[in-house]
Amino acid sequence: MKAGCALACLLLAAALPCLADGAAERGKDVYASECSDCHSVQPQKNKKGPTLFGIVGRRSASVPGFRYSDVMRNSGITWTPEQLRRYIAAPKQVIPHDRMKYDGLSDAGDLDDLMGYLQTLH
Amino acid sequence: MKASGMARAITLLAGILGMAWTSVACAVPAYSRQTGQECAACHMGAYGPQLTPYGVRFKLGGYVDSDEQGGKLPLSAALIASFTHTAENQARAPTASTKVNDNAVIDQASLYVAGRLAANLGTFTQITYDGAERKAMLDMLDLRYASSLDLSGKELVLGLVLDNNPTLQDPFNSSPAWSFPYVQSSVAFEPGAATLINGGLEQRVLGLSGYLFWNKSLYVELGSYRSLSPAMQARLGLGREEDPGRLGSGTLYWRIAWTKDYKRHAFHVGAIGLNASLQPDRGQPARNDYRDVGLDAGYEYLGNRRHMVSVYASYIHERQTRGALLASGGAARLHGRVDEFKLALSYDLRETWDVTLARFDERGSRDAMLYGDGYTGGRPDTAGTIAQVDWTPWGKEGSWHEPWANLRLGLQYTRYDRFNGARRNYDGQGRNARDNDTWLLFLEAAL
Repeated sequence: MKAGCALACLLLAAALPCLADGAAERGKDVYASECSDCHSVQPQKNKKGPTLFGIVGRRSASVPGFRYSDVMRNSGITWTPEQLRRYIAAPKQVIPHDRMKYDGLSDAGDLDDLMGYLQTLH
Repeated sequence: MKASGMARAITLLAGILGMAWTSVACAVPAYSRQTGQECAACHMGAYGPQLTPYGVRFKLGGYVDSDEQGGKLPLSAALIASFTHTAENQARAPTASTKVNDNAVIDQASLYVAGRLAANLGTFTQITYDGAERKAMLDMLDLRYASSLDLSGKELVLGLVLDNNPTLQDPFNSSPAWSFPYVQSSVAFEPGAATLINGGLEQRVLGLSGYLFWNKSLYVELGSYRSLSPAMQARLGLGREEDPGRLGSGTLYWRIAWTKDYKRHAFHVGAIGLNASLQPDRGQPARNDYRDVGLDAGYEYLGNRRHMVSVYASYIHERQTRGALLASGGAARLHGRVDEFKLALSYDLRETWDVTLARFDERGSRDAMLYGDGYTGGRPDTAGTIAQVDWTPWGKEGSWHEPWANLRLGLQYTRYDRFNGARRNYDGQGRNARDNDTWLLFLEAAL
């Protein structure tokens, strides 16, 4: 019995990175279709929007060389996973009148995958 | 009827039709420098003019989106060079500087003023040197002001646009000015009929339209056009010889479309129209009236941008009342019609390789005078298939010298099933439609 449990735990432990990788891979696709027009994931590469490299855990309006809107500069947000998720789901509700024109990502599965991918960018 | 009058009417008509057969390809890295985004953000296949849904919004927003870094000059340059081979030699060299076959020409060397001019004012303006005709001209003009406001939580974009070709201002890839093929040989065969809205007034008019774009979905536009005087056309490098005449003051252009961007895919459906009265001989009161109505639709699968598919279809019906042509002997019947159908299906691999298959079919009602010499049965009917493969190595994030340079190399084959009314011996001189089949090898470059 103990041996069975150990084997199950081992298999689960081995599978978890794969599952996470799968979510991140799907998240990369979500990024490609939802975000890539305006945001790069390369360090220090800003487009119309700032780079998403290192976005998770970053303070808002902190990418050097990018010109943020006043409302973004004054938002005082730190992009924790929870805060970032809330923002991507409904950006105009979290920071009204910002320049970003994105309407938001409503699909919870896509949002999970995207968050998984963004957390790998550091 | 005076012979000179008839010749003039036919020449005018040929001029109108000929103008419909020019390249619309364009790519302006100035926009890329302005926004910090790669060409692929706005263009399917990473090279213009085929707009992505994001590109549609950039255009309707007035070409003013930017990375707010400032110091960007709204200037670009572009080149289209090509080699054209037709199945059989043409009867005459298409221009004074070309041969009856196997022509290598610089189709266009262009300077663009493209981008934000002021907070809400932007432009897409092209000045072109035509290497086949060896002349420079004001080619495309699109100057627009756009402003957006919040309407009960939905974005409403309101805009005004000044342009020199009906449908040039349109954002959708199925409208006449922007439909496939985006590059055409400037020294190959021209089909014998086209609707007025499909390039018949190109460059010779100036129009002002107002538009709204609600909730990134509903597009409505209403506008009117006035013709440029022959003197102004000459000053702009267009020449007086192909002056299509004076437009009546009641010229009406309208457009309505519904589009939806689901990010991974998008579609649009729409209707378009042009009501115009054209006085081909400015010294005579006689007019030709045109009533154009079209339906169009498009679907784009963008996915994760590694595999993309697009399909566009359009149908335009034109009702003609040819008072001036009838009076001058250029037509035998007062009333007539022209119908145009286009369908294009494209596959794009990694925003680099494109394959497109397209079908075109133009039909007109019988008129033995209007479609006399060079036609069979008094009909202009022309139909065929176009296949194209092209390679766009740059234009993506991280591309060589992005956002300063872009390049496309393409090979296009046009097969004619019917030309000017018949499959065989359409001109009475033994020439078959297939004799006009055209190979086009082209290079586009932009910086």
